Amino acid sequence: MTDTEVEILPLLREKHINYIIEQDSHRSYEYWLSEHLRMNGLYWGVTALLIMKSLDESLPRSEVIDFVFSCWDSKAGGFGAFPRHDAHLLSTLSALQILKIYDTELTILGSEKREQVVAFVKGLQLPSGCFQGDRFGEVDTRFVYNGLSSLSLLDELTPEIVDPAVKFIMECQNFDGSFGMLPGAESHAAQVFTCVGALAIADKLHLIEDDTKLGSWLSERQVLPSGGFNGRPEKLPDVCYSWWVLSSLSILNKKHWVDLEKLEAFILTCQDSKDGGIGDRPDNQTDIYHTCFGLAGLSLIDHEKYNFTEIDPVYCMPTEVTKTFKKWKS
Amino acid sequence: MQHGIKRINLSEEAKRAKLEKDKAKIVEYKQLSEKVFSLRDDEVYSFDALKYTSVLLKMNPEFYTIWNYRRDILTNLKYEQEPDNDYAWWLSYDLGFLMSLLKKFPKVYWIWNHRSWCLFELVKLGKVNWQYEFGVVSKLLELDSRNFHGWQYRRFVVENIELESTKKAAPTNKSDESSVLLEIDINEFKYTTEKISKNISNFSAWHNRSKLIPKIYHLFQALDSPNEKYPEVFEIFKSPQSILNHELELIKTGMYMDADDTSVWLYLYWLLTEKLFIDDLNKSKKGRYLSLLKEELHIVEELNKLEKDDHVENWDNCWCLKTIVLIKGLIEKEEKGATNPRDLLTNDIKNHLRTLIKIDPLRKGKYLDQLEGKASIIPTI
Repeated sequence: MTDTEVEILPLLREKHINYIIEQDSHRSYEYWLSEHLRMNGLYWGVTALLIMKSLDESLPRSEVIDFVFSCWDSKAGGFGAFPRHDAHLLSTLSALQILKIYDTELTILGSEKREQVVAFVKGLQLPSGCFQGDRFGEVDTRFVYNGLSSLSLLDELTPEIVDPAVKFIMECQNFDGSFGMLPGAESHAAQVFTCVGALAIADKLHLIEDDTKLGSWLSERQVLPSGGFNGRPEKLPDVCYSWWVLSSLSILNKKHWVDLEKLEAFILTCQDSKDGGIGDRPDNQTDIYHTCFGLAGLSLIDHEKYNFTEIDPVYCMPTEVTKTFKKWKS
Repeated sequence: MQHGIKRINLSEEAKRAKLEKDKAKIVEYKQLSEKVFSLRDDEVYSFDALKYTSVLLKMNPEFYTIWNYRRDILTNLKYEQEPDNDYAWWLSYDLGFLMSLLKKFPKVYWIWNHRSWCLFELVKLGKVNWQYEFGVVSKLLELDSRNFHGWQYRRFVVENIELESTKKAAPTNKSDESSVLLEIDINEFKYTTEKISKNISNFSAWHNRSKLIPKIYHLFQALDSPNEKYPEVFEIFKSPQSILNHELELIKTGMYMDADDTSVWLYLYWLLTEKLFIDDLNKSKKGRYLSLLKEELHIVEELNKLEKDDHVENWDNCWCLKTIVLIKGLIEKEEKGATNPRDLLTNDIKNHLRTLIKIDPLRKGKYLDQLEGKASIIPTI
């Protein structure tokens, strides 16, 4: 375990761009089965292309925006994952993020839809402070993040929304300093991002700032020999945690608590050198989700080196977009 | 999202062949989706519509919109036409349907979500069988003992069994109520022991244990005569100190089995820093916490010696040394009452941190922050 030289493979930028553009062209059976993730998929694709500074030449703006609006569920007043699918908080946040990238004022939404979507998101908050994903009651700290982030994008946060949400999040913190999906649930790195991200949006980071426990727990996610991050103790590494863990460390100003070079090497070994795209582990099947979070991880590691767009660890959107947001002050 | 699936790069020809092969399936899937969507748009809530959603959800259990429609069908069906197959019957039917799906797709959120929805509907009808659910989740955790959803679902079921049991027993005082809850939680505690003895690395079990221990302790406290009903378990839970001793003994075995296992060390950190234990130790005798820390330090140092002997270059064991730093930090705090991270840094501790930079280089930045007093070596909350 000495400081050995790390071999860093080259980034296959052109192949990844092509891989993302091609997502919509190979309409296999699996493609049709994944409609329920299409809005999120579009957000991951748009974000990945933005990171590589090639969004405009790769995806026609009008087609992206048309697709987003084709998923509007007028009955619920939110966005579904695909045309005719029901509105859900997960797809609504993705839709708002995409629209915000093209139009920071969200005027494109129009006042009627804007009002409806605000009511939709606000209406999903429960007395506990948590948000449900839709009217059927599934609760999870993921949805607290989705709710606060959506309302932050819409500039609609109020103390009545923020305070109970923050209280709920703090109930999900465990003895190891980390966070789970619900009070009592085991700590999980992806939930840490949703909780730390939500606290950052709520301007309540001071509630965990002194805590080196969380920073330690996050830094222990990096494992050898791969240098990748796992999501929980004694589990295998996975590229997506490059984002969930490193964004959280970044928000806590503790990115240097892990070996960034080894993480970079791990992400790059998960590239498909033939067809582009990134998988969860070396030699595994690629997908748009791991491609986006692998590239987002690389941007957090060193965006200048790759001539990448700088990414905001709180919103998982380019900082050039998020700096225009009116940030909530508690 | 693909997880853990080996990549196969298909040639253009192979892709075309796959598409050709998939064609019939795609047509079937799209036609069925179209049919179900139009039924939904027409607000058709019939047994036939329900059957169509079953077929579609079997093909794609992640199709959340169809689960939503299925729930709307179930709540709007006219059951009077089928007197034997009422709402409760169909909800129970769904539980069976979901079980077959969960065996194939144990990590799909939407399936778990529909299961809890069905159960709450059954609660409203007064026809829920939480014990059966308990069996279901136990079986699923047999298949994957770290399944995140499984453990969460187990806590959810237990919570509801607790609610139901207290309601049924209609306790007239706090002691009776605690007695009802104790039985359930003691069984959960035993379950974690069982899982841990099968696999010491099962952090999900250690985690649950950390939640159960304070709960069980307080329940015993609320009993009028706590040593009567579960004398053996009460031996462990009679005081925070006795719990601590019991757990430290258990964890010692784990440490010696695999000194590189994260789960065991994380749990030890909890034991050594939990307020419930510290307060009780200090209440019983001044300095008792301090002497316990010193005892534990000795144990970890002994283990580290053994590990060092096994290492080719005579290196310290990484987790042992991290733990030694933590315990020495806690000792410093106890002895000096220091609150500033910098004041905890003796030369001895600084040397350990420098060694850690060498043997655990991934986290070099953290150790440097600790050396400079920018980050604490002990938890600050």
